[in-house]
Amino acid sequence: MRALVTAVYLFLYAPIALVVLFSFNAGRSAVQFTGFSADWYGKALSNVLLMDALKNSLLIAATSAILAVVFGTMAAMGLERLGARMRALFDGLLAAAIVVPGVVIGIATLVALVQLFDVLNPLLAGLWPGQEAPKLQLGYGSIIAAHGLFTMALVTMIVKARIASLGRDIVEASSDLYASPLTTFREIVLPQILPAVLAGFLLAFTFSFDDFIIAFFVAGSKTTLPIYIFASIRRGVTPEINAVATMVLGASLLMILIARFLMREKTTR
Amino acid sequence: MSKDYKDNLPITPRAFMEEFMRLKRGSVTRRHFLGVTGLGVATGVMSGFPGTFSKSAYAADLGTRMSIATWPNYHDPATFENFTAATGVAVDVNVFGSNEEMLAKLQAGASGWSLFVPTNYTISTYHKLDLIEELDLSKLPNFSSATENPRFTKEGQIGGKTYAVPKNWGTTGFSVNTSKIKTKLTSWKDFFEIIQTEADGRGMVHDYQLTTIGSALVSLGLDFNSIKPEDLAKAEELLIKVKPHLFAINSDYQPSMRSTDAWITMCWTNDGDQMNRDMPEIAYVLGKDGGEIWTDYYAIPKDAPNKAAGYALLNFLMDPKVAVKEHIANGAPTTDSRVMSLLPPEVTADKIVYPDEAALTPLEFGAAVTLTDPGRAELMARFKSA
Amino acid sequence: MPLKPQTRHKLVTALLLGPAGLWLFFFLVLPFIAILVFSVGKRGPVGGYAPAFTFEQFANLGTRAAAFVNTLELAPVGAFSCLLVAYPVAYYLAVKVNPQRRLLLLSLVVAPFWTSLLMRTYAWMYLLGGRGIPHLLELVGIENVRLINTPGAVLLGIVYGYLPLMIMPIYVSLEKLDRKLLEASYDLGAKPIGTFFRVTLPLSLPGVMTGFALVTILLLGEYLIPQLLGGGKVFFIGNALVDLFLQSRNWPFGSAIAVTLVAVVVVILTIAMRLTWRIAGTRKVDLV
Repeated sequence: MRALVTAVYLFLYAPIALVVLFSFNAGRSAVQFTGFSADWYGKALSNVLLMDALKNSLLIAATSAILAVVFGTMAAMGLERLGARMRALFDGLLAAAIVVPGVVIGIATLVALVQLFDVLNPLLAGLWPGQEAPKLQLGYGSIIAAHGLFTMALVTMIVKARIASLGRDIVEASSDLYASPLTTFREIVLPQILPAVLAGFLLAFTFSFDDFIIAFFVAGSKTTLPIYIFASIRRGVTPEINAVATMVLGASLLMILIARFLMREKTTR
Repeated sequence: MSKDYKDNLPITPRAFMEEFMRLKRGSVTRRHFLGVTGLGVATGVMSGFPGTFSKSAYAADLGTRMSIATWPNYHDPATFENFTAATGVAVDVNVFGSNEEMLAKLQAGASGWSLFVPTNYTISTYHKLDLIEELDLSKLPNFSSATENPRFTKEGQIGGKTYAVPKNWGTTGFSVNTSKIKTKLTSWKDFFEIIQTEADGRGMVHDYQLTTIGSALVSLGLDFNSIKPEDLAKAEELLIKVKPHLFAINSDYQPSMRSTDAWITMCWTNDGDQMNRDMPEIAYVLGKDGGEIWTDYYAIPKDAPNKAAGYALLNFLMDPKVAVKEHIANGAPTTDSRVMSLLPPEVTADKIVYPDEAALTPLEFGAAVTLTDPGRAELMARFKSA
Repeated sequence: MPLKPQTRHKLVTALLLGPAGLWLFFFLVLPFIAILVFSVGKRGPVGGYAPAFTFEQFANLGTRAAAFVNTLELAPVGAFSCLLVAYPVAYYLAVKVNPQRRLLLLSLVVAPFWTSLLMRTYAWMYLLGGRGIPHLLELVGIENVRLINTPGAVLLGIVYGYLPLMIMPIYVSLEKLDRKLLEASYDLGAKPIGTFFRVTLPLSLPGVMTGFALVTILLLGEYLIPQLLGGGKVFFIGNALVDLFLQSRNWPFGSAIAVTLVAVVVVILTIAMRLTWRIAGTRKVDLV
């Protein structure tokens, strides 16, 4: 059993080890190791297009995850207050947002937005007082919206489950003591649901950061990191891409370590 | 810089003055002024080689980045690095596998490209759909229509206006690893036979209706450009029969051929030449029963976000000194006699790049109708999903 | 002006749910209506969409039957293979490992998610390609082995990509398992194998079902793995959709397929839900 589990871990990490190894390749190829060098890290950091893609991905992931967490948590709390029928409708929509395949979300958003922009842009141009009216087009907004749809639903589900396990007594007790709803939320509810909210944020961020297929459809002229990597795979990957992937991995491992360290601090105190 | 400035101005003096007055009145921005008059480009062109002008002098006019859509293994990476060094504009290279894909992306809007590389037979459709703009040749002083071979360049012009200028021409044949496949192959008929027998599981076809369906048609003795349902049905039968024997359906076949995962593939001139150069056992064959001859063009999308940089890069690529380096690196034959005269003799004598006229005779240019014909599109989809 | 408590309650509810509701409306409901409308339209003369009201797109679904069959076959097969690999790992982590090391090992299962799936799949392209494992096999005398661009390669990619998603829910359900039950079973003279099949496995079934349903549903929309590891020959519905929108530009037909795919997902989910309820004996299990 132990051997089997070890084999699975090897299976999980072999490709990652390969990615990291080739990031230190001296040659131009990401498939033939010719010597050890860290040059590609410098090249990756000075490649403006790659750095643009990375920045876009970070910006989009952070924005969509923050919006998803705020709106998702609000929705999870609001759901409690709804009547049965409305609640079923809302639950159904949230479930749909999760199970509809990403490729369909991407396509449907593309179709809807292209049609919508075709109607709105001439209107906007007609009404705009200045010379050049702004033109609505696919870009940051559409990616954030499409990613946020899935991740918001995810956050709502996670937080809802946590609230359900909380029990209403404690909240009611708090309001009985004439605490304002806001105080009740800040002092009682938030600390309780915080782990779920944080988990939701991490999931949302990771999903958005790694998503290719939705962004592939709705990105317009914006390039995210996965889109850049996909294009590189098609035209021949250089170790530059491996270097970025390795840096991202390193940064996230560091974050996990810091998070665990902070959590340990808290529990020991 | 001894020449009179007028020689390099890509706009008439009168129009120039009008724009200048508008600028003074404040109704246009400086950026617009430089863009319209082509001054931003002209300064870049006049400098001739990098470094004579300070980067910042025109970086402001060309922006800092642009994006081009092109084909796999089709440029010398150094070309874009040199362009970036000269202008400060970083070039994002998007690679596509088919003209359909390019068209789809452009049709969906906001492709973000400032320059792209469509093939001859697609240009009329782009024009009809109003997706490309008429090129302002005054912004392309390096382009010389007099030295272009009209056999390859006529489809860039529509109604006397120039919408696209030629990049290079080429052929679609197949590359075969002769150390793995011993049978001598000379036709598309041979190609489709061998991938079901000696090269079982090792053959590749393009993920591209024009050449995959076209070559299948040719192997059956039918017209490369046919859209007749009965012809297409026969091609479909052949392709579906062949599919279980294929290694892959992919227009980017170089990696698989080089790693010898694949032994035979449909192939464009430039790829055939690049692979043959590094691995002489990979031969390039033109079907004696037919196949495609093509010209790729440069065009600028109507909604290009950075037209100034698009023109600047295009003009840079049209410079014979740059084009000849591109040619030597990517192995695609030129349409421009200025480039031809700069080429070393071993390139012009290369029979992969410049085949004998007799080998070209059976080949055909792609026809516009194949790009949008639903029958061919559906056939391709059924072939892939079978 | 003080509000009536009831109005106030409604107002707060609306404020809490408003943003999420608007988001769902604009980016889920509207897009879905758009593809519904498109799915009864016609392909324009040069591609794209032309308004119409016809069911011909749905009548044409048969032309993509192969893609549907492929997907409906490979999704459960992939999920099942994933389950076979995931279960021992989840079991080991939940039952055999001591709690201190458990967290570390669990984090190690999730950590691969932090590198791009594309990069990891690309690494597999290399490992399965001619310079990878087949090259090693050649060194020991086994020649001309082909691994990349086969259904096997796609299956491997699927198991690799979805393994953590399968391990997690099974682990959670096994972790809740009451050890006293196991001990009771042993005390009553049951053999370990018997205990596993009579006690452990049934109790972990909700987790298994959740993982299985999750992976199957995600696989129904998979595009990348078949594309990169299947050489364009292993065709999922996701690949058919991408081609229809980005190659042949037949938006109405693509929309019809997308609508059908959503319907398939809903049906599968409903069946899975019912099954889980029956097995778990309670309705308190959420698959999603």
